[in-house]
Amino acid sequence: MTLFKFSPSFDPLAGLLDLQRELDRAFERSRGSGADLSGRGVFPPVNIFSDKDGHVVHVEIPGVAPDQLTIETHGRTLTISGKRDVSVPAGGSFHRRERGSGEFSRSLQLPDDLDSERAEASYQLGILTVRIPRKEAAKPRQIAVKA
Amino acid sequence: MTTQELNVRSKQEASGAEHTRPGRAYVPDVDICETPDSLWLWADMPGVDEKSVDVKLADGMLSIDGQVSLQPYDNLAPVYTEYNVGNFTRRFTVSSDIDAEHITARLANGVLEVELPKAARAKPRRIAVSVA
Repeated sequence: MTLFKFSPSFDPLAGLLDLQRELDRAFERSRGSGADLSGRGVFPPVNIFSDKDGHVVHVEIPGVAPDQLTIETHGRTLTISGKRDVSVPAGGSFHRRERGSGEFSRSLQLPDDLDSERAEASYQLGILTVRIPRKEAAKPRQIAVKA
Repeated sequence: MTTQELNVRSKQEASGAEHTRPGRAYVPDVDICETPDSLWLWADMPGVDEKSVDVKLADGMLSIDGQVSLQPYDNLAPVYTEYNVGNFTRRFTVSSDIDAEHITARLANGVLEVELPKAARAKPRRIAVSVA
């Protein structure tokens, strides 16, 4: 980051968190336009972003083996499920256990203009990233001006 | 061993010492397990790669720090966010019976695994009993 402001609370992701507060208020008032989620407060928490090509879903699930993850798309629904195992060394006694283990499953409703057939998923550094591009028909079209 | 359910907890911000670089730091979830030979620690640090993680043992205090790269978020506009993104930091006091020279740490799939072997004097010693 080359930008540095002389402000005691400069936070690179302040914009992200401000939007989160705005969205909390918006969801209380009306149904969201576009992404409709079932099961807020369900493990694992997701962040959904959009860029010019479509939507990107980030899920923080550290410690899951890639073959234990199942990502399914069905029409407008994206389902992420899997199993998280916590390794236990033999003969050990735990001082603390804060990390949960077990199976999880989460379904998300995606907006209509996304093409779930071309969705791609990658799992790196414990974050699952699912990219769902926009449908060809839904992309912005340039209209040439005739002289 | 009881089976734990996976529940959602929002990330807790770390309070206390400030870092020289601005940015939030959160407290990672940690499992600590003691075996006869070592103390094991696992910390959930998603988004941290092995170049950005720091494990230090000084003055009986073990500190684990992980920096998260914000580069994947460069062109993304948030649509719906449920969790915060930020660096991770946590400190533990460990007894002096740790062999600091042989601490090993591994990072895989966003989980930092640290093995702190106990110093030889701390391991339980079996004393053989001979028949007189």
